Amino acid sequence: MLKVTNLVKSFGALDVLKGISFEIKQGEVLAIIGPSGSGKSTLIRCLNYLEQPQQGIIEIDNARLDAAKPTKKDIQHLRSKTAMVFQNYNLYKNKTALENVTESLIVVKKTPKAEANKMGMQLLSEVGLEAKRDNYPVTMSGGQQQRVSIARALAQKPHVILFDEPTSSLDPELVQEVLHVIKKLAEQKITMIIVTHEMDFAREVADHIIFMADGHIVEQGPAKEFFANAQQERTKKFIRQITSESEDTIL
Amino acid sequence: MDMNLDFSYMIEVLPAILKYIPITLFMAIIAMIIAVAIGLALALVYKTNFKILIYAANVYISFFRAIPMLVQLFLIYYGLPQLFPVFTKLDAVTAAIIGLGFKQAAFLAEIFRAAFASVEKGQLEACLAGGMSKFQAYRRIILPQALRNALPGTGNTFISLIKETSLAFTLGVVEIFAEAKMQASNSFRYFEAYLTVALVYWAIIVVYTYVQKLIEKYLDRPYKT
Repeated sequence: MLKVTNLVKSFGALDVLKGISFEIKQGEVLAIIGPSGSGKSTLIRCLNYLEQPQQGIIEIDNARLDAAKPTKKDIQHLRSKTAMVFQNYNLYKNKTALENVTESLIVVKKTPKAEANKMGMQLLSEVGLEAKRDNYPVTMSGGQQQRVSIARALAQKPHVILFDEPTSSLDPELVQEVLHVIKKLAEQKITMIIVTHEMDFAREVADHIIFMADGHIVEQGPAKEFFANAQQERTKKFIRQITSESEDTIL
Repeated sequence: MDMNLDFSYMIEVLPAILKYIPITLFMAIIAMIIAVAIGLALALVYKTNFKILIYAANVYISFFRAIPMLVQLFLIYYGLPQLFPVFTKLDAVTAAIIGLGFKQAAFLAEIFRAAFASVEKGQLEACLAGGMSKFQAYRRIILPQALRNALPGTGNTFISLIKETSLAFTLGVVEIFAEAKMQASNSFRYFEAYLTVALVYWAIIVVYTYVQKLIEKYLDRPYKT
Protein backbone atom coordinates (compact mmCIF):
# COMPACT_ATOMS: atom_id res chain seq x y z
CA MET A 1 0.00 0.00 0.00
CA LEU A 2 3.06 2.24 0.25
CA LYS A 3 5.89 1.52 -2.11
CA VAL A 4 9.00 3.52 -2.83
CA THR A 5 11.19 2.54 -5.76
CA ASN A 6 14.71 3.76 -6.34
CA LEU A 7 14.28 7.22 -4.82
CA VAL A 8 17.13 9.62 -5.59
CA LYS A 9 17.56 13.08 -4.13
CA SER A 10 20.47 15.47 -4.19
CA PHE A 11 20.94 19.02 -2.99
CA GLY A 12 23.27 20.46 -5.59
CA ALA A 13 26.37 18.29 -5.61
CA LEU A 14 25.39 16.56 -2.37
CA ASP A 15 23.70 13.20 -2.90
CA VAL A 16 21.35 12.70 0.02
CA LEU A 17 19.29 9.73 -1.13
CA LYS A 18 21.11 7.27 -3.35
CA GLY A 19 18.37 4.98 -4.56
CA ILE A 20 15.99 4.10 -1.75
CA SER A 21 13.43 1.32 -2.14
CA PHE A 22 11.07 -0.12 0.44
CA GLU A 23 7.51 -1.14 0.96
CA ILE A 24 5.04 -1.25 3.84
CA LYS A 25 1.59 -2.68 4.25
CA GLN A 26 -1.55 -1.10 5.59
CA GLY A 27 -1.57 -0.96 9.39
CA GLU A 28 2.18 -1.31 9.71
CA VAL A 29 4.46 1.00 11.62
CA LEU A 30 7.84 1.66 10.08
CA ALA A 31 10.61 3.33 12.06
CA ILE A 32 13.49 4.89 10.16
CA ILE A 33 16.62 5.22 12.25
CA GLY A 34 20.20 6.19 11.58
CA PRO A 35 22.87 8.75 12.39
CA SER A 36 22.17 12.41 11.68
CA GLY A 37 22.90 13.38 8.11
CA SER A 38 21.97 9.92 6.87
CA GLY A 39 19.03 11.27 4.85
CA LYS A 40 16.14 9.95 6.93
CA SER A 41 14.35 13.29 7.27
CA THR A 42 14.87 14.01 3.59
CA LEU A 43 13.41 10.62 2.76
CA ILE A 44 10.25 11.12 4.78
CA ARG A 45 9.84 14.66 3.37
CA CYS A 46 10.08 13.28 -0.15
CA LEU A 47 7.09 11.05 0.53
CA ASN A 48 4.71 14.03 0.52
CA TYR A 49 6.87 15.96 -1.92
CA LEU A 50 7.94 18.68 0.52
CA GLU A 51 11.35 17.78 -0.84
CA GLN A 52 11.51 17.14 -4.54
CA PRO A 53 13.32 13.93 -5.41
CA GLN A 54 14.96 13.85 -8.84
CA GLN A 55 14.18 10.21 -9.52
CA GLY A 56 12.10 7.39 -8.24
CA ILE A 57 8.51 6.34 -7.89
CA ILE A 58 6.30 6.82 -4.87
CA GLU A 59 3.07 4.86 -4.66
CA ILE A 60 0.60 5.26 -1.82
CA ASP A 61 -2.76 3.55 -2.18
CA ASN A 62 -3.90 4.59 -5.67
CA ALA A 63 -1.68 7.67 -5.80
CA ARG A 64 1.46 7.39 -7.87
CA LEU A 65 4.16 9.98 -8.41
CA ASP A 66 7.05 9.59 -10.79
CA ALA A 67 9.72 12.00 -9.58
CA ALA A 68 11.10 12.37 -13.08
CA LYS A 69 7.84 13.85 -14.33
CA PRO A 70 5.63 14.94 -11.44
CA THR A 71 2.39 16.71 -12.26
CA LYS A 72 0.54 19.09 -9.98
CA LYS A 73 -2.26 16.56 -9.83
CA ASP A 74 0.09 13.74 -8.76
CA ILE A 75 1.56 15.91 -6.02
CA GLN A 76 -1.89 16.90 -4.75
CA HIS A 77 -3.04 13.29 -4.88
CA LEU A 78 0.02 12.11 -2.97
CA ARG A 79 -0.52 14.76 -0.32
CA SER A 80 -4.15 13.79 0.05
CA LYS A 81 -2.94 10.30 1.05
CA THR A 82 -0.43 11.50 3.63
CA ALA A 83 -0.31 13.71 6.70
CA MET A 84 2.79 14.92 8.45
CA VAL A 85 3.79 15.54 12.04
CA PHE A 86 6.80 17.83 12.13
CA GLN A 87 9.70 18.03 14.52
CA ASN A 88 8.80 21.64 15.34
CA TYR A 89 5.03 20.94 15.34
CA ASN A 90 4.39 23.76 12.84
CA LEU A 91 0.91 24.39 14.18
CA TYR A 92 -0.78 27.28 12.39
CA LYS A 93 0.13 30.11 14.74
CA ASN A 94 -2.87 32.26 13.89
CA LYS A 95 -5.33 29.45 14.63
CA THR A 96 -6.60 27.90 17.84
CA ALA A 97 -6.04 24.23 18.65
CA LEU A 98 -9.45 23.30 17.30
CA GLU A 99 -9.01 25.45 14.18
CA ASN A 100 -5.67 23.76 13.56
CA VAL A 101 -7.40 20.40 13.51
CA THR A 102 -10.35 21.51 11.38
CA GLU A 103 -8.46 23.72 8.91
CA SER A 104 -7.82 21.01 6.32
CA LEU A 105 -11.30 19.58 6.78
CA ILE A 106 -12.89 22.92 6.01
CA VAL A 107 -10.50 24.26 3.38
CA VAL A 108 -9.47 21.10 1.54
CA LYS A 109 -12.29 18.64 2.14
CA LYS A 110 -15.00 21.32 2.24
CA THR A 111 -16.58 19.77 5.33
CA PRO A 112 -19.32 21.98 6.79
CA LYS A 113 -17.97 23.89 9.75
CA ALA A 114 -20.28 22.42 12.38
CA GLU A 115 -19.42 18.88 11.33
CA ALA A 116 -15.71 19.72 11.16
CA ASN A 117 -15.85 21.14 14.68
CA LYS A 118 -17.53 18.00 15.95
CA MET A 119 -14.86 15.82 14.36
CA GLY A 120 -12.17 18.20 15.60
CA MET A 121 -13.38 17.99 19.19
CA GLN A 122 -13.43 14.22 19.02
CA LEU A 123 -9.84 14.16 17.76
CA LEU A 124 -8.74 16.64 20.42
CA SER A 125 -10.26 14.40 23.06
CA GLU A 126 -8.39 11.43 21.58
CA VAL A 127 -5.13 13.24 22.32
CA GLY A 128 -6.47 14.45 25.65
CA LEU A 129 -6.76 18.14 24.82
CA GLU A 130 -10.47 19.02 24.56
CA ALA A 131 -9.90 21.65 27.23
CA LYS A 132 -7.40 23.45 25.01
CA ARG A 133 -9.76 23.87 22.06
CA ASP A 134 -9.62 27.67 22.10
CA ASN A 135 -5.96 27.99 23.00
CA TYR A 136 -3.51 29.39 20.49
CA PRO A 137 -0.30 27.36 19.93
CA VAL A 138 1.89 29.87 21.71
CA THR A 139 0.05 29.21 24.98
CA MET A 140 0.62 25.46 24.89
CA SER A 141 3.61 23.34 25.91
CA GLY A 142 5.63 21.58 23.24
CA GLY A 143 4.06 18.27 24.16
CA GLN A 144 0.55 19.69 23.88
CA GLN A 145 1.36 21.33 20.55
CA GLN A 146 2.70 18.06 19.19
CA ARG A 147 -0.45 16.24 20.34
CA VAL A 148 -2.61 18.85 18.58
CA SER A 149 -0.50 18.34 15.50
CA ILE A 150 -1.14 14.59 15.68
CA ALA A 151 -4.87 15.31 15.92
CA ARG A 152 -4.50 17.61 12.92
CA ALA A 153 -2.82 14.81 10.98
CA LEU A 154 -5.56 12.34 11.94
CA ALA A 155 -8.23 14.77 10.74
CA GLN A 156 -6.97 14.35 7.20
CA LYS A 157 -7.81 10.63 7.36
CA PRO A 158 -4.56 9.86 5.58
CA HIS A 159 -3.43 6.45 4.42
CA VAL A 160 -0.17 7.03 6.20
CA ILE A 161 1.02 9.52 8.80
CA LEU A 162 4.61 10.66 8.43
CA PHE A 163 6.37 11.56 11.68
CA ASP A 164 9.57 13.54 11.24
CA GLU A 165 11.40 13.21 14.57
CA PRO A 166 8.23 13.98 16.54
CA THR A 167 9.92 14.18 19.93
CA SER A 168 13.30 15.71 19.08
CA SER A 169 12.30 19.28 19.98
CA LEU A 170 10.60 18.34 23.22
CA ASP A 171 11.84 18.77 26.75
CA PRO A 172 12.64 15.30 28.13
CA GLU A 173 9.70 15.28 30.52
CA LEU A 174 7.27 15.91 27.64
CA VAL A 175 8.50 13.13 25.36
CA GLN A 176 6.43 10.37 26.94
CA GLU A 177 3.03 12.05 26.52
CA VAL A 178 3.65 12.28 22.78
CA LEU A 179 5.03 8.76 22.46
CA HIS A 180 2.03 7.52 24.39
CA VAL A 181 -0.34 9.04 21.82
CA ILE A 182 1.64 7.51 18.95
CA LYS A 183 1.52 4.09 20.65
CA LYS A 184 -2.23 4.39 20.90
CA LEU A 185 -2.40 5.03 17.16
CA ALA A 186 -0.24 1.99 16.49
CA GLU A 187 -2.71 -0.11 18.50
CA GLN A 188 -5.49 1.21 16.25
CA LYS A 189 -3.53 -0.08 13.25
CA ILE A 190 -2.93 3.34 11.76
CA THR A 191 -0.16 3.18 9.18
CA MET A 192 2.79 5.28 10.24
CA ILE A 193 6.33 6.01 9.18
CA ILE A 194 8.39 7.46 12.00
CA VAL A 195 11.84 8.97 11.80
CA THR A 196 13.11 8.76 15.36
CA HIS A 197 16.05 8.66 17.70
CA GLU A 198 14.02 6.95 20.43
CA MET A 199 15.32 3.38 20.15
CA ASP A 200 13.22 1.92 22.95
CA PHE A 201 10.17 3.44 21.37
CA ALA A 202 11.07 2.12 17.92
CA ARG A 203 11.62 -1.34 19.35
CA GLU A 204 8.30 -1.26 21.15
CA VAL A 205 6.05 0.29 18.50
CA ALA A 206 7.52 -0.43 15.10
CA ASP A 207 6.77 -3.53 13.07
CA HIS A 208 9.57 -2.73 10.69
CA ILE A 209 12.88 -0.93 10.99
CA ILE A 210 14.95 0.75 8.31
CA PHE A 211 18.49 1.69 9.25
CA MET A 212 19.94 4.37 6.99
CA ALA A 213 23.43 5.76 6.61
CA ASP A 214 24.95 8.00 3.94
CA GLY A 215 21.84 7.99 1.79
CA HIS A 216 21.52 4.21 1.65
CA ILE A 217 19.37 1.70 3.45
CA VAL A 218 22.03 -0.29 5.27
CA GLU A 219 19.66 -2.80 6.77
CA GLN A 220 15.95 -3.36 7.15
CA GLY A 221 13.76 -5.95 8.69
CA PRO A 222 11.15 -6.83 11.29
CA ALA A 223 11.77 -4.84 14.45
CA LYS A 224 12.39 -7.77 16.79
CA GLU A 225 15.00 -9.42 14.61
CA PHE A 226 16.57 -6.12 13.77
CA PHE A 227 17.49 -5.26 17.34
CA ALA A 228 18.24 -8.78 18.50
CA ASN A 229 20.16 -9.89 15.51
CA ALA A 230 21.50 -7.08 13.30
CA GLN A 231 23.52 -8.39 10.37
CA GLN A 232 25.60 -5.41 9.28
CA GLU A 233 28.59 -4.21 11.28
CA ARG A 234 27.48 -0.63 10.81
CA THR A 235 24.05 -1.37 12.26
CA LYS A 236 25.48 -3.19 15.26
CA LYS A 237 27.80 -0.31 15.99
CA PHE A 238 24.94 2.19 15.79
CA ILE A 239 22.71 0.14 18.09
CA ARG A 240 25.58 -0.27 20.56
CA GLN A 241 26.28 3.46 20.53
CA ILE A 242 22.67 4.46 21.00
CA THR A 243 22.13 1.92 23.75
CA SER A 244 25.23 2.93 25.67
CA GLU A 245 24.27 6.58 25.27
CA SER A 246 20.89 6.01 26.87
CA GLU A 247 22.57 4.02 29.65
CA ASP A 248 24.86 6.99 30.18
CA THR A 249 21.90 9.27 30.65
CA ILE A 250 20.43 6.90 33.20
CA LEU A 251 23.71 6.87 35.14
CA MET B 1 10.20 90.94 21.57
CA ASP B 2 6.61 91.52 20.81
CA MET B 3 4.84 88.20 21.18
CA ASN B 4 1.43 88.43 19.66
CA LEU B 5 0.18 84.96 18.93
CA ASP B 6 -3.43 85.45 18.05
CA PHE B 7 -5.30 82.47 19.47
CA SER B 8 -8.66 83.82 18.52
CA TYR B 9 -7.53 83.94 14.90
CA MET B 10 -6.47 80.30 15.14
CA ILE B 11 -9.90 79.33 16.36
CA GLU B 12 -11.47 81.44 13.67
CA VAL B 13 -9.46 79.86 10.87
CA LEU B 14 -9.84 76.28 12.16
CA PRO B 15 -13.29 75.52 10.67
CA ALA B 16 -12.12 76.61 7.22
CA ILE B 17 -9.19 74.22 7.44
CA LEU B 18 -11.24 71.37 8.88
CA LYS B 19 -13.57 71.63 5.90
CA TYR B 20 -10.78 70.20 3.76
CA ILE B 21 -10.02 67.19 5.92
CA PRO B 22 -12.18 64.96 3.68
CA ILE B 23 -10.08 65.68 0.59
CA THR B 24 -6.85 65.14 2.53
CA LEU B 25 -8.09 61.82 3.89
CA PHE B 26 -9.59 60.83 0.54
CA MET B 27 -6.24 61.23 -1.19
CA ALA B 28 -4.38 59.44 1.60
CA ILE B 29 -6.75 56.48 1.80
CA ILE B 30 -7.12 55.89 -1.95
CA ALA B 31 -3.36 56.26 -2.42
CA MET B 32 -2.84 53.80 0.43
CA ILE B 33 -5.15 51.24 -1.17
CA ILE B 34 -3.19 51.54 -4.42
CA ALA B 35 0.11 51.33 -2.55
CA VAL B 36 -0.95 48.20 -0.63
CA ALA B 37 -2.17 46.48 -3.80
CA ILE B 38 0.98 47.23 -5.80
CA GLY B 39 3.26 46.66 -2.82
CA LEU B 40 1.73 43.26 -2.15
CA ALA B 41 2.01 42.29 -5.81
CA LEU B 42 5.66 43.34 -5.83
CA ALA B 43 6.42 41.41 -2.64
CA LEU B 44 4.75 38.30 -4.05
CA VAL B 45 6.78 38.60 -7.25
CA TYR B 46 9.85 37.79 -5.14
CA LYS B 47 8.16 34.53 -4.12
CA THR B 48 8.06 33.37 -7.74
CA ASN B 49 10.81 32.20 -10.05
CA PHE B 50 10.04 34.62 -12.88
CA LYS B 51 13.39 36.31 -13.42
CA ILE B 52 11.93 39.03 -15.64
CA LEU B 53 9.23 39.93 -13.14
CA ILE B 54 11.77 40.04 -10.32
CA TYR B 55 14.00 42.29 -12.39
CA ALA B 56 11.06 44.57 -13.18
CA ALA B 57 10.13 44.72 -9.50
CA ASN B 58 13.72 45.64 -8.63
CA VAL B 59 13.67 48.51 -11.13
CA TYR B 60 10.27 49.72 -9.90
CA ILE B 61 11.33 49.75 -6.27
CA SER B 62 14.68 51.35 -7.02
CA PHE B 63 13.10 54.11 -9.15
CA PHE B 64 10.20 55.06 -6.93
CA ARG B 65 12.30 55.02 -3.80
CA ALA B 66 14.85 57.33 -5.36
CA ILE B 67 12.70 60.04 -6.97
CA PRO B 68 11.67 62.89 -4.65
CA MET B 69 7.91 63.01 -4.17
CA LEU B 70 7.62 66.51 -5.58
CA VAL B 71 9.62 65.66 -8.70
CA GLN B 72 7.40 62.67 -9.24
CA LEU B 73 4.19 64.64 -8.87
CA PHE B 74 5.43 67.27 -11.35
CA LEU B 75 6.51 64.53 -13.72
CA ILE B 76 3.04 62.98 -13.68
CA TYR B 77 0.92 66.12 -13.68
CA TYR B 78 2.94 68.58 -15.74
CA GLY B 79 5.25 66.21 -17.65
CA LEU B 80 3.14 63.31 -18.89
CA PRO B 81 0.55 65.39 -20.82
CA GLN B 82 3.34 66.80 -22.94
CA LEU B 83 4.28 63.32 -24.18
CA PHE B 84 0.85 61.72 -24.08
CA PRO B 85 -1.98 64.20 -24.71
CA VAL B 86 -4.46 61.80 -23.13
CA PHE B 87 -3.01 62.77 -19.74
CA THR B 88 -4.26 66.35 -20.09
CA LYS B 89 -7.55 64.92 -18.89
CA LEU B 90 -5.86 63.80 -15.66
CA ASP B 91 -7.13 66.00 -12.83
CA ALA B 92 -4.81 67.13 -10.07
CA VAL B 93 -6.34 64.98 -7.32
CA THR B 94 -6.00 61.83 -9.42
CA ALA B 95 -2.44 62.73 -10.34
CA ALA B 96 -1.57 63.25 -6.68
CA ILE B 97 -3.20 59.95 -5.67
CA ILE B 98 -1.34 58.03 -8.39
CA GLY B 99 1.97 59.66 -7.54
CA LEU B 100 1.61 59.04 -3.81
CA GLY B 101 0.34 55.49 -4.26
CA PHE B 102 3.03 54.43 -6.74
CA LYS B 103 5.81 55.79 -4.57
CA GLN B 104 4.63 54.31 -1.28
CA ALA B 105 4.08 50.96 -3.01
CA ALA B 106 7.87 50.73 -3.37
CA PHE B 107 8.35 51.20 0.36
CA LEU B 108 5.51 48.84 1.24
CA ALA B 109 6.94 46.16 -1.03
CA GLU B 110 10.05 46.08 1.13
CA ILE B 111 8.00 46.00 4.33
CA PHE B 112 5.79 43.17 2.99
CA ARG B 113 8.80 41.21 1.75
CA ALA B 114 10.34 41.31 5.21
CA ALA B 115 6.97 40.39 6.75
CA PHE B 116 6.66 37.31 4.54
CA ALA B 117 10.23 36.34 5.34
CA SER B 118 9.43 36.52 9.05
CA VAL B 119 6.78 33.79 8.75
CA GLU B 120 8.50 30.48 9.45
CA LYS B 121 9.00 28.16 6.51
CA GLY B 122 7.32 25.38 8.49
CA GLN B 123 3.97 27.18 8.31
CA LEU B 124 3.80 26.81 4.53
CA GLU B 125 5.07 23.23 4.75
CA ALA B 126 2.31 22.37 7.22
CA CYS B 127 -0.28 23.84 4.84
CA LEU B 128 1.04 21.89 1.86
CA ALA B 129 1.34 18.68 3.88
CA GLY B 130 -2.26 19.29 4.94
CA GLY B 131 -3.32 19.28 1.30
CA MET B 132 -3.84 23.01 0.81
CA SER B 133 -2.85 24.73 -2.40
CA LYS B 134 -0.26 27.48 -2.18
CA PHE B 135 -3.01 30.03 -2.74
CA GLN B 136 -5.07 28.64 0.14
CA ALA B 137 -1.96 28.54 2.33
CA TYR B 138 -1.20 32.19 1.66
CA ARG B 139 -4.75 33.34 2.14
CA ARG B 140 -5.51 31.41 5.33
CA ILE B 141 -2.18 31.08 7.13
CA ILE B 142 0.76 33.02 5.68
CA LEU B 143 -0.87 36.39 4.91
CA PRO B 144 -2.60 36.75 8.29
CA GLN B 145 0.68 36.11 10.08
CA ALA B 146 2.64 38.39 7.76
CA LEU B 147 0.01 41.10 8.20
CA ARG B 148 0.72 41.31 11.89
CA ASN B 149 4.43 41.70 11.24
CA ALA B 150 3.82 44.26 8.53
CA LEU B 151 1.41 46.46 10.45
CA PRO B 152 3.83 48.77 12.29
CA GLY B 153 5.81 49.54 9.13
CA THR B 154 2.66 49.87 7.07
CA GLY B 155 1.27 52.30 9.64
CA ASN B 156 4.36 54.47 9.31
CA THR B 157 3.89 54.48 5.56
CA PHE B 158 0.29 55.60 5.95
CA ILE B 159 1.36 58.41 8.27
CA SER B 160 3.89 59.56 5.66
CA LEU B 161 1.16 59.43 3.06
CA ILE B 162 -1.21 61.59 5.10
CA LYS B 163 1.49 64.20 5.44
CA GLU B 164 2.63 64.01 1.84
CA THR B 165 -0.87 64.85 0.61
CA SER B 166 0.12 68.40 1.49
CA LEU B 167 2.36 68.35 -1.59
CA ALA B 168 -0.75 68.13 -3.74
CA PHE B 169 -1.16 71.88 -3.26
CA THR B 170 1.65 72.31 -5.79
CA LEU B 171 -0.66 70.77 -8.39
CA GLY B 172 -3.44 73.16 -7.40
CA VAL B 173 -5.37 70.78 -5.16
CA VAL B 174 -7.00 72.56 -2.26
CA GLU B 175 -6.60 70.41 0.81
CA ILE B 176 -5.98 71.41 4.41
CA PHE B 177 -2.51 72.82 3.85
CA ALA B 178 -3.46 74.77 0.72
CA GLU B 179 -6.43 76.24 2.58
CA ALA B 180 -4.20 77.29 5.48
CA LYS B 181 -1.82 78.89 3.03
CA MET B 182 -4.61 80.86 1.39
CA GLN B 183 -6.00 81.94 4.74
CA ALA B 184 -2.53 83.07 5.75
CA SER B 185 -1.96 85.17 2.68
CA ASN B 186 -5.30 86.88 3.20
CA SER B 187 -4.73 87.69 6.85
CA PHE B 188 -0.93 87.86 6.94
CA ARG B 189 -1.22 85.70 10.06
CA TYR B 190 1.23 83.13 8.71
CA PHE B 191 2.35 81.66 11.97
CA GLU B 192 -1.15 81.12 13.33
CA ALA B 193 -2.47 79.62 10.10
CA TYR B 194 0.44 77.23 9.70
CA LEU B 195 0.45 76.33 13.39
CA THR B 196 -3.26 75.56 13.14
CA VAL B 197 -2.79 73.27 10.17
CA ALA B 198 0.20 71.64 11.91
CA LEU B 199 -2.01 70.88 14.90
CA VAL B 200 -4.69 69.49 12.62
CA TYR B 201 -2.15 67.07 11.07
CA TRP B 202 -1.05 66.14 14.54
CA ALA B 203 -4.62 65.43 15.61
CA ILE B 204 -5.29 63.31 12.53
CA ILE B 205 -2.21 61.24 13.18
CA VAL B 206 -2.91 60.86 16.89
CA VAL B 207 -6.34 59.49 16.03
CA TYR B 208 -4.88 57.19 13.39
CA THR B 209 -2.19 55.94 15.77
CA TYR B 210 -4.86 55.09 18.32
CA VAL B 211 -6.83 53.13 15.72
CA GLN B 212 -3.67 51.27 14.69
CA LYS B 213 -2.99 50.33 18.31
CA LEU B 214 -6.44 48.77 18.50
CA ILE B 215 -5.84 46.81 15.30
CA GLU B 216 -2.45 45.67 16.58
CA LYS B 217 -3.99 44.52 19.80
CA TYR B 218 -6.61 42.58 17.87
CA LEU B 219 -4.04 40.92 15.60
CA ASP B 220 -1.85 40.09 18.57
CA ARG B 221 -4.46 37.92 20.27
CA PRO B 222 -3.08 34.59 18.99
CA TYR B 223 0.44 35.43 20.14
CA LYS B 224 -0.21 36.48 23.73
CA THR B 225 1.08 33.96 26.24
